[in-house]
Amino acid sequence: LREATPKVNPGKSRSNLNLEKTLVMKAALTTTDSGHCTAEEAFGSDAESEGETSLDSLEESSETEQGSKKRLRKRPQLKEEDAHQFESKEIKDESLEVEDLLKEEEEYNEEVDFSTETVGALKWKEDLSRKAAEAFLRQKQATPNLRKLVYGTVAEDDDD
Amino acid sequence: MATQAHSLSYGGCNFFRQRLVLSTLSGRPVKIRKIRAKDENPGLRDFEASFVRLLDKITNGSRIEINQTGTTLYYQPGLLYGGSVEHDCSTHRSIGYYLESLLCLAPFMKHPLRVVLRGITNDQIDPSVDVLKATALPLLKQFGIDGESFELKIVRRGMPPGGGGEVFFSCPVRKLLKPIQLTDPGKIKRIRGMAYSVRVSPQIANRIVESCRNILNKFIPDIYIYTDHMKGVNSGKSPGFGLSLVAETTNGTFLSAELASNPQGQGAAVLPEDLGRNCAKLLLEEIYRGGCVDSTNQSLVLLLMTLGQQDVSKVLLGPLSPYTIEFLRHLKSFFQIMFKIETKPCGEELKGGEKVLMTCVGVGFSNLSKTIK
Repeated sequence: LREATPKVNPGKSRSNLNLEKTLVMKAALTTTDSGHCTAEEAFGSDAESEGETSLDSLEESSETEQGSKKRLRKRPQLKEEDAHQFESKEIKDESLEVEDLLKEEEEYNEEVDFSTETVGALKWKEDLSRKAAEAFLRQKQATPNLRKLVYGTVAEDDDD
Repeated sequence: MATQAHSLSYGGCNFFRQRLVLSTLSGRPVKIRKIRAKDENPGLRDFEASFVRLLDKITNGSRIEINQTGTTLYYQPGLLYGGSVEHDCSTHRSIGYYLESLLCLAPFMKHPLRVVLRGITNDQIDPSVDVLKATALPLLKQFGIDGESFELKIVRRGMPPGGGGEVFFSCPVRKLLKPIQLTDPGKIKRIRGMAYSVRVSPQIANRIVESCRNILNKFIPDIYIYTDHMKGVNSGKSPGFGLSLVAETTNGTFLSAELASNPQGQGAAVLPEDLGRNCAKLLLEEIYRGGCVDSTNQSLVLLLMTLGQQDVSKVLLGPLSPYTIEFLRHLKSFFQIMFKIETKPCGEELKGGEKVLMTCVGVGFSNLSKTIK
């Protein structure tokens, strides 16, 4: 895709190239920072493939990258040290950090959930028995009483 | 008959055969008024008059009164006599029109029925002789009507408008019918078919088979479609071709579909390829409807269940056809039999459309005409 975009928009090729450079650099940075920042790379390539050449999008992408880097900042530092010596400590540190991260994420998620998901989920769980009863009655009404249709109303009296 | 029940009265020309057949079996006289009373050409049609004549031939002591214009018919049935009968059917309808009713009456004759019917074997309106042979005969066998003399043979094929076909039908008589329990249709085991062509190129039948197999081969490998090209005097008076398909299930249910070409000089020419393809789709539709009895024989099975021993009979049918619904109403007025009708949704097994489970207790009809040997 990276090669394809300049061909499609030859007018914006210069800005595209600039973007490419920055992105390539960024990608390189992320790879040196830590081996597993694939999400960021993917994000970068996405932004490029969309062909957004404005500075806003660039800024946005860099901002988000910074934001995500904050979370992962400590890990590469630890890796620079001798991992074997401080294994236990590292694990502790890491677990603490992970907990922090999780806490942060939990808070973050909760905010999102309140607006969209959780409300829906709660609604879904409301009055399950009542809903089941309604569905049953609806089903019963939808399937026609064939006997009544064929023989008329007399059949109904016989049925009971 | 000894018991002169009061006659039933109907208006209009619809369900003409049903009324006369049920009247014959129940012994109740029937009066049908206003037969096409407001039509430009009022009264009974040729094919209906021909049907009344056929009833007269197979019964003994029937009283038939038709008024001057043919708009009113009074029928007081006699005893079903049977024996050897020949009948020239009207060319307005096919032999299937007459044969359907004969299938209802034949098991209750005094003497086994051996009938030769002449006319149109395959047309676009009525079930063809091929389909009746493949579906109705196995159904009658379920009720215990079986034997060497039970056969339906196409001697000559006749297509509309000329006709010129000939069919031989013979059926043994039974004192009692066995009750049936057909509730599981099973799965499709094989598909058989008959592609026929008369007074056209024999290659047409092969073209039909090829296009039909194109569709059906995707579903099941066991398909065989016979090609039947009748020549000379056996080919009737008019050109035409067609296809009938029958799917057999593991539990002995037969589901059928058929198509025939347009009669000579009526409508546009039909391509054999289109006919084969459309007929294959009709068979798929019929399989989707499903049930233990295909839609052409719904009323036949319900009648035989009604006339069975005083025992419970059950049958699972596909969606009821309008003809069958009216037949149920007629069964109620002639025999005071009401079926238990339960809908069975297809559920998650994806077994096609909604099914209907029909249950009844037979009236304990026994063949009084049959001589005890």
